[in-house]
Amino acid sequence: MKKIEAIIKPFKLDDVKEGLTEVGVHGMTVSDVKGFGRQRGHTEIYRGAEYTVDFVPKLKLEIVVDSELVPQVVKVIEDKARTGQIGDGKIFVTPLDEVVRIRTGERGKEAI
Amino acid sequence: MNAPDAPVNILQEKKNALVARFLEGAEPAFLEAHAAIIDDYFRDSFARSSVGPAMGMDKNPHAIIALGGYGRKEQCLYSDVDVLLLFKKRIPDQAQGLVQEIFYPLWDIGLDVSYSIRSLKECLSLASSDFEVLTALMDARFLCGISPLYSELMEHFRDKVLRRRGAAHVSWLVKKNRERHARFGDSTYLLEPNLKEGLGGLRDYHTMLWVARTAYDVNEPRDLEFQGHLSHDEFQSLMEALSFIRIVRNWLHHLTARKCDQLYFEYQIKLAKALNFKPVNGEQAVERFLGTLHGQMEFVKRQHLIFLDKALDRKGGFRKRKSQRRLIQPGIELVQGALYFESPEVILQKPHLLIKIFEQSAILGLPLGVETTRLVREFLYLVDEKFQSSTKVVKLFQRILAGPPQTFNVLNEMLNSGILVALIPEMKGIVNRIQYDEYHVYPVDKHCLRTVQTLKDFRDAEAATEDGFYGSVLKEIARPDLLLWAALLHDVGKGVNRPDHSIQGARIVRDIFARMGFDAEDIEMISFLVREHLLLMHTATRRDISDEKVVIQCARRFQDVERLKMLYLLTVADSKATGAKAWSDWTGTLLRALFFKVLRMLERGELATQAAADVVEKKKKDVLERALSFQRRELESLFDQMPPRYLLYTPVESILKHLELYEGLGQESFVLEAEAKPRSNYRTVTVCARDFPGLFSRLSGVFTLNNLDILSAEIYTWRNHIAVDVFKVKAPLDKLHEDEAWSRVKRDLRAALKGELDLKSALGEKLQAYRALQRRIPRRPDRIVMDNEASDFFTIVEVYSHDFPGLLFNVTDALFRCKLDIWIAKIGTKVDQVVDVFYMRDFDGQKIVDPQEIAAVEEAIKEAIESAPL
Repeated sequence: MKKIEAIIKPFKLDDVKEGLTEVGVHGMTVSDVKGFGRQRGHTEIYRGAEYTVDFVPKLKLEIVVDSELVPQVVKVIEDKARTGQIGDGKIFVTPLDEVVRIRTGERGKEAI
Repeated sequence: MNAPDAPVNILQEKKNALVARFLEGAEPAFLEAHAAIIDDYFRDSFARSSVGPAMGMDKNPHAIIALGGYGRKEQCLYSDVDVLLLFKKRIPDQAQGLVQEIFYPLWDIGLDVSYSIRSLKECLSLASSDFEVLTALMDARFLCGISPLYSELMEHFRDKVLRRRGAAHVSWLVKKNRERHARFGDSTYLLEPNLKEGLGGLRDYHTMLWVARTAYDVNEPRDLEFQGHLSHDEFQSLMEALSFIRIVRNWLHHLTARKCDQLYFEYQIKLAKALNFKPVNGEQAVERFLGTLHGQMEFVKRQHLIFLDKALDRKGGFRKRKSQRRLIQPGIELVQGALYFESPEVILQKPHLLIKIFEQSAILGLPLGVETTRLVREFLYLVDEKFQSSTKVVKLFQRILAGPPQTFNVLNEMLNSGILVALIPEMKGIVNRIQYDEYHVYPVDKHCLRTVQTLKDFRDAEAATEDGFYGSVLKEIARPDLLLWAALLHDVGKGVNRPDHSIQGARIVRDIFARMGFDAEDIEMISFLVREHLLLMHTATRRDISDEKVVIQCARRFQDVERLKMLYLLTVADSKATGAKAWSDWTGTLLRALFFKVLRMLERGELATQAAADVVEKKKKDVLERALSFQRRELESLFDQMPPRYLLYTPVESILKHLELYEGLGQESFVLEAEAKPRSNYRTVTVCARDFPGLFSRLSGVFTLNNLDILSAEIYTWRNHIAVDVFKVKAPLDKLHEDEAWSRVKRDLRAALKGELDLKSALGEKLQAYRALQRRIPRRPDRIVMDNEASDFFTIVEVYSHDFPGLLFNVTDALFRCKLDIWIAKIGTKVDQVVDVFYMRDFDGQKIVDPQEIAAVEEAIKEAIESAPL
């Protein structure tokens, strides 16, 4: 089992979600996050006052899948979230030791 | 085991039957009936007690007394049973035996029983020192034993305890109440209300009763009406509301199988079904159920607040019933800090007082008396179409809307008294309308009022805060009144059961404000705000706002800055008033970024004007008609790829030509076409190529290498990475063999693109030859201007320089080496002065903002110019 974390542009969520559903991913966690990488923040000046945006708003997806599915899922996110511009985001894949579905106590693959 | 006819078995049996009837919906008075069968149990088991007679009823009289909710006969399925075992004198040793006989069996069947055993004296002294005990005794009810003992208790309780401690108890109740409301007042409890402790919950009603008991010596709830504290209608409505809440609570106990008073999400749909709510006109059953519940709880809350306000002064002491009256306006008087009508008759003479009194309340910051709200409701029939459209009324309404924010919300009072809906009947459909999700915390009507309030709060926000920023935008708006109207009615379309509530709303507000006699221009503005109130939020969260095209399309919807500012504030207030899930710093950042981009787009004009939009639309139409080899859908998607400036500034003829070249591109890396006007000494060369950084410098290099002097150039990059570059060049020297010349250009370009031809060194040799030919003339100084202000999407570089062969190659090659990508360029020559304008981003697609980087680019361009042959 692997955990896939993806940082994407907010407006790409629907595309990514649709793509993931098509390859059989039915659950994910989405959170509003802020940060910066190569895409820097910026400062706006309005009527003399400065409004600085240090961190750029993004969405973080967390998806847990069976290891075999990883290349497919990563590909989908990659394709669907790409605009070709800066700030398209990143995908992280990490190994996962255990998953437990709290209600039933199921563990491992069944609990995904 | 017990005998089948043991009192506890009889209780169980009766209870099962009672619950069964309730579940069938055949037991409207469940709570009382439930209390009654428990009463039966106590009487029965007390009569059968073996310990009881031994305690000597005559020497030390005793009684069993119901307390608290059980005393009030408000016995829900899993409510606890609070009982007092009272002895006239000291507590005998056998009392424990009685407890075992009577109470233990109840525990065995799972009833939540709590009991206390006290002597009369203990009971009264405890009540004097402990307000919880005092409160419980307020609802004491005799069950069995010696009834005169109960009477003695109540007599002493009234004469000694209440007389001495009553006032302190009331202020304790008020304080506890305030704490309770603060704790249960937040939005979580609006989505999942607590039926007992929450705002408008049963506890609010109990508090009324307890205060009434101390303040007015009220014994039964009915006395509230008989003594004139509530009107007949109010009392009836209160009883209906309570009965509804109690039924919901009882069902909730049943569904959760425990004493649960908080209406969690997971039970709401089941409850709506159990209570027989049906979907109507697209409104879900659960939404109708919650709407009703909110309405009833709101009513209880309001009766409770009004009652306390009337009974108590601001410090929690009792109000004197007679007080000074002072006329503050004809027909309106001030009594004990609240506003009242002088008399009911005066309303008939001057119906506009119905709204005037709210205006006074808003301006003076004084609450309305309880009687006032009641009278407003009774005289609502006076609000007819003539009243609604009266200029005087509209003016007063406007002053209420714009009035200073008060601790109590005057608009909310208007909503509750029904006059808001009477004035704007179109709002009827959104009163208590619930949207069943985790997102919309408030019913639609409350949400609209909160939106107005949120906007008003911006006015006084501190300068350096987020809200301060909204405040400073608000101050620039010429007509905040129109914004407030739009805020009040932005969701009015939700009352119509159609999915497009903004469009419905825009239509409805036109009718409303036409009736109220607004100018056509003002109506247009309000209607625009209502229609577009989701535009900015949708664009900010669902579209790519770093895409210029998205911003332009958004900007074209506004046409002017004023509209943008108003809509921006409405969007922020709307989201903030929706609930915690709809607004966050995260959303705020996105929205503000969009606001700034659209604002600058509008302030700069050009691309976002109506004229520009019209030109572009006209061109698209022409192209659609004339580009016959393309499918309509194909063309429309190509339009999407074309940058706004390209569509705006390129003539239709040229667009058609470019499309033709694009079609011919196929798998090639470029197509080149040279076109000669008859007898002209110039050629227009159009190149359509797959774009990559460095394309432009190679093109210009190849032209120079082939002795084609570049007079002007325009390059555009389509979003599908197709570059369309148009050069105007001097005709080849050898006009007889021109075709050959162009073949050479193509050959060189192919080689240059593949990297097989090193233009720099090839040109180096060539330019040596030019040096000798160069005339020495005085030069105007070179100038390089880098501009990050004019566009949010590109860094614009302007280069002013004297012309020389190879200049364009030198400059564009320098830009390429600085890792900059040229998106749009305009190259022009005026005599010997060249003006080059480049719209650029770095290879990551960002503007060049780092001062060091800017300096480096300037340096590189300077070097490129100065390497000119002299």
